[in-house]
Amino acid sequence: MRSTTIGLTVAALLAAAVPAAAQVDPLEIIDRVDRLLRGDSSRGVATMEVVTEHWERQMTMEIWSLGTDYSLVRLRAPQREAGTATLKAEADIWNYLPKVDRTIKVPASMMGGAWMGSHFTNDDLVKESRLIEDYDIELAFDGENPDGVAVWEFRLTPKPDAAVVWGSIEYRIRQSDDMPLWTGFYDEDGELVRTMEHGEFTEFGGRTVPGVMDVYPADKPDERTTIRYEELEFDVDLEPAFFSLRSLQRRR
Amino acid sequence: MTGPWWRIGWRNLGRNRKRTALTALGLAVGYIAVVFMVGWAEGISAELIENATSLVSGQIEIHDEEYRPERSLYDTIGGRDGTDVETLLRDITADEAVVAAAPRAYAGGLVSSGEATSAGSLMGVDPEREVALTRFLDPLVEGRLPVPGAYELVVGEEMARQLEVAVGDELVVVASAADGSMANDLYTIAGIYSTGLVEFDAATAVMPITDLQALVVLDPGRIHEIAVATADPAAAGATAGRLAAALGAEERAIAIAPWAELNPVLAEYISLADSLYWIFIVVIFAIASFGIANTMLMATFERRREFAVMLALGSSPGSIVGSVLYEAMAIGLVSLALGAAVTGPLMIWFYTAPPSLGWLYGNVTLQGALLTPTLRVGINVPAWTWATVGLILTALIAAFYPAVRAARVPPADTLSGL
Repeated sequence: MRSTTIGLTVAALLAAAVPAAAQVDPLEIIDRVDRLLRGDSSRGVATMEVVTEHWERQMTMEIWSLGTDYSLVRLRAPQREAGTATLKAEADIWNYLPKVDRTIKVPASMMGGAWMGSHFTNDDLVKESRLIEDYDIELAFDGENPDGVAVWEFRLTPKPDAAVVWGSIEYRIRQSDDMPLWTGFYDEDGELVRTMEHGEFTEFGGRTVPGVMDVYPADKPDERTTIRYEELEFDVDLEPAFFSLRSLQRRR
Repeated sequence: MTGPWWRIGWRNLGRNRKRTALTALGLAVGYIAVVFMVGWAEGISAELIENATSLVSGQIEIHDEEYRPERSLYDTIGGRDGTDVETLLRDITADEAVVAAAPRAYAGGLVSSGEATSAGSLMGVDPEREVALTRFLDPLVEGRLPVPGAYELVVGEEMARQLEVAVGDELVVVASAADGSMANDLYTIAGIYSTGLVEFDAATAVMPITDLQALVVLDPGRIHEIAVATADPAAAGATAGRLAAALGAEERAIAIAPWAELNPVLAEYISLADSLYWIFIVVIFAIASFGIANTMLMATFERRREFAVMLALGSSPGSIVGSVLYEAMAIGLVSLALGAAVTGPLMIWFYTAPPSLGWLYGNVTLQGALLTPTLRVGINVPAWTWATVGLILTALIAAFYPAVRAARVPPADTLSGL
């Protein structure tokens, strides 16, 4: 009887303490943002604009994803490259080249190479949604941006055994609606390698998500890659079989 | 070299012919060793340079000054506008020391066959000009050179092995094009080359330069490199300087680099080998000098009474020293004659028709250069001259102490048997 009372008291004390401590649980927030942006599955149409010192180009692509393991991107424009597709299944990436009607698996040594000429690497596609698995996450800043918006800034450092390319990542999230605003990617020496900015928060399929994402390489300030969603729907009916080599080769 | 002391010295060689022969042989073997080691080391250096500069790269390479070390696709000779390749090649080959020149273009990409894909470097060459300049495409291990416009390429033996492909098979080539697109096309393997440099052979696919330019969307006037072969690799630096002046390298923003600049490790190795010759010479003759000193010491001790008589008869100590030194010099000359008689024909043989040592070692790769071990020798007149001087000096220095001792023999005591 007595022990039960004590137990209840302790439980009540704990219950009172927990909400305060859990207010900012970095893991929980990152996970929530992650789920919000991805959904269980999605389908969308986006344009990608790549600006480099030497050329500029714009592509339109259709994108499907299922969980964290599968995604498929197929170019619709420019006409000359329409049908070119990238399949990500678990840790592997294949490219389908309609001109020669061949599928090529990207070798491990090229995972750091540019994806479709953009400032994204093949590795970004593989590692995109495993932040909470690969990184230790701590809250680095809880306050207002210079423009008065309340944000959390998280600092992500790789777990000792994680096979990742970044030395650390800084991830800034708007407190009011969990929208990611800014991400900085640093190398092992702590040098900024690139930044990613999210904006034009738009409602797609009943969720508000960033409609535009810009990537800026730190060593080439005049270059950028911009991805802008035209359409996006979540929780669409997709099977893992959809993300097969056969479906990769299907021409549209 | 006349006079009585020289004659006495010379004749003394005949007093104990076996000993003289052994001493002379000792010096001669030292001499032969130096000449041979210097010759062989020089041969290895020459082969290293030749291999490193005629297998794939030239003795001189011309790039846009921004091209190295990043090797960006966009840094073509003459910048974005490119250059008049034919005129440039004509201007380069106008130099008397230039044997051949060939244009090249490069791109990075993927080479794939079926399941297997490897990251590769694509090299565009002018097949006809390339075979006049470098050896890696001539002869091919298998097949023939690619024909421009026929979607053909040649790959390294190691790449063919990794991709499990043979002549006649199709390869997909994917590359980042200059317009940002993901260039890709199908090519047939026309031939397989082997440089023996495994990394190069595993990563490089070679196609006609016009085909590569078409693939990665570069104008025909945009090339990354002109490789130049010169008659004498040792003079590549001077030739590069002359070309820079003739072509106006600075105004055109092009960099003209001789092999020593392109492969500084090799250049350093060569100069290190050069300084090693001195160590050979010093060590070998130092060892020989103790042999001579010992012999001369014994020879002069034996002749104590003779020296005493000479001194008693009024010879100056200086002339005693002279006669011993002359004797040593005579031994030196005999050894030199012996050494030259042995090394001369051998050097000529090894230089003109080096016997192969392949049965002993197989092929060796050193500093990015392929070595086929042969007993090839190179010519190094200064080192050999120093070996000759060293031999005579060794004989004289080694005999100096015995000579001084001989001149200090006390005549009366010695003659009285004390």
